[in-house]
Amino acid sequence: MGARLDLKPMLKPRSVAIVGASRDPDKVGHVILQNYLNAGFPGRLYPVNKTADKILGLKAYASVLDIKERLDLVVIAVPAPAVPAVMEECGKAGVKAAVVVSGGFAEVGNADLQAQLVSIADRYGIATLGPNCLGVMDPRSRVDTLFLPTYKLSKPQIGGVSFMAQSGAVGSTVLDLISGEGFGLSKFISYGNAAQVDEVDILDYLADDPETNVIVMYIEGIKRGREFIAAAKRAGAIKPVIVLKAGKTAAGVKAAHSHTAALAGDYEVQESIFRQAGFIIADDLSDLLYYAKIFEAEPEPKGPRVAIVTNGGGAGVLTTDALGASGILSMAEFTRQTSEALRKAMPPLVNIANPLDLAGDAGEERYDKALAALESDANVDMIIVIMLFQTPGADSASAAKLIAYKDRSEKPMIVISIGAGYTEMHKRMMESAGLPVYDSPADAAAALAALYRYSLFRKRRSQPSR
Amino acid sequence: MKLLDYMEAKRLLERYGISSIESAYVSSAKDAVSFSKGRAIAMKVLSDKQLHKSKAGLVRLNLSAPGEIESAYAALSRKGQALRPFKIIAQRMAERGDEIIVGARTDPQFGKVVLIGLGGIYVEIFRDFALRVAPLSAVDAEEMLAQLKSERIVTHGGRHRKQILSLLLGVARLMKENDSISELDLNPVIVTERGYSVVDIRVLGKV
Repeated sequence: MGARLDLKPMLKPRSVAIVGASRDPDKVGHVILQNYLNAGFPGRLYPVNKTADKILGLKAYASVLDIKERLDLVVIAVPAPAVPAVMEECGKAGVKAAVVVSGGFAEVGNADLQAQLVSIADRYGIATLGPNCLGVMDPRSRVDTLFLPTYKLSKPQIGGVSFMAQSGAVGSTVLDLISGEGFGLSKFISYGNAAQVDEVDILDYLADDPETNVIVMYIEGIKRGREFIAAAKRAGAIKPVIVLKAGKTAAGVKAAHSHTAALAGDYEVQESIFRQAGFIIADDLSDLLYYAKIFEAEPEPKGPRVAIVTNGGGAGVLTTDALGASGILSMAEFTRQTSEALRKAMPPLVNIANPLDLAGDAGEERYDKALAALESDANVDMIIVIMLFQTPGADSASAAKLIAYKDRSEKPMIVISIGAGYTEMHKRMMESAGLPVYDSPADAAAALAALYRYSLFRKRRSQPSR
Repeated sequence: MKLLDYMEAKRLLERYGISSIESAYVSSAKDAVSFSKGRAIAMKVLSDKQLHKSKAGLVRLNLSAPGEIESAYAALSRKGQALRPFKIIAQRMAERGDEIIVGARTDPQFGKVVLIGLGGIYVEIFRDFALRVAPLSAVDAEEMLAQLKSERIVTHGGRHRKQILSLLLGVARLMKENDSISELDLNPVIVTERGYSVVDIRVLGKV
């Protein structure tokens, strides 16, 4: 593969044609056009259909060659055997980028058809995503090639997290889950068979994308090994990259001649590349979200020392244990100044120690005073606030207090709230204000540990080596 | 893929600042006795046909009396007949210590990969190792050690950290600069109070 493929026309198009757009609401091409209309795409939109005159109120064209302007993006949703001819027309029309959502290529054994597609794309220099993919979504430019009906899939708000996935099903599941979290989306890219545009191109693009603060990737295979290493190292040095790799248990190296070869199987090698690039390695889909929200919301911690403020003793102890199990975080020891200030501010039943148990009747006021003291304590690098809403004291005013602290705090601060309805409501409230909320001490500790580990990676990379 | 001659592999390592335990080929029992000079030695049969020496009874350890050495030599050369061509190598006996492994292999997709971990016969049971793709920076090497549960064993409580790091960087450089070398095992490397000692070397190459 030659020059770097430019994904900008795909994600920031001014003009889009949808080949296979249809009046039949059951057709993929119809759903995509409908989604573009729903999203309020501000550019020019051209349905392409051989027989229809108008689709969803827009004038339809028989071919991309009939469209008078040079198109940035063409979304192709026609049966696989018809795709090469459409690509050929796109080439002649000078189209810059294509998203081929159609399936029926290498994934079902039609490698020749896929090779044909790539050769046309390369010949005309069309950056081509897919085939067999969901395509792209960018809420800022209101691009949305996803052919999933809107009522089935909640779509996230605008934000700084970009998500790339080979698998369309994992992609749409995560997208749906993201919409339930407090953080927002920058780009969603489902790249399917990766026939031409692959993880290397996408990683390169997202690393440089100013709208992307955090990259989240789900990958199954890596196609271009050496180029991937270079792209991974570059991206990891610029911004946090969270990765979930499927296929860990695939058979190791066959017929190993040495102990090294027996140990260092495919997954182990890939994992080592992720580590070398500073990637945050997730073990499960839920980890992707737990890590994404803390990296999107929180500053770099200055050190590993955590203060815990809680309104439940048991939850404080569980969280202390989880921090210990992380192997890298430690419990902060308050300065004397902090301890004295807290002693004065708190009722006698509050024991001044870390975790700081404010007791079950603690409300807005006690949280306020505790956070004020910890915020200025030089021995505290990060803060975990446990707020259990089943207690008599915790309510919306207490949650609002945490949000206010979040806005002015220079230290990473996260919340643990465990519970159903009333808790869920407050979790939503805090998360939509950019305050990450976790419902288990283990997840919270893992997220803080990842944040701290990445800060260490950044520090090591910016210093000349010892 | 071919196993590189042991002494050739030993010299190759030396070019990268990696010394290994004193060794020599011996072609008679007398040779072996004079190599020993009264010190404890080990003797091994080396042959392309037998890759797992210790499992096949092709290793004799802790020989120091001339009589012991002579009878071990006779026994090993008998076993060697079935594996011809073969050589017998004599090595100075290593001190007791903690066994670690340093190795490398070539991944078809990503290139040369370097490994360090807890070694010896349990390496595949504990699977405590760290990997990185070459070239290796000093920070990469540091991070590899930090990743090991057995970091304190591997570095001898931190006292041999520098030597182990340079061993690791040496192996990475060797792999990067010798494209024909596809696999390398230094297992075990024995870590003692006095430093590390490479006890067994296996280098596989394309030539």
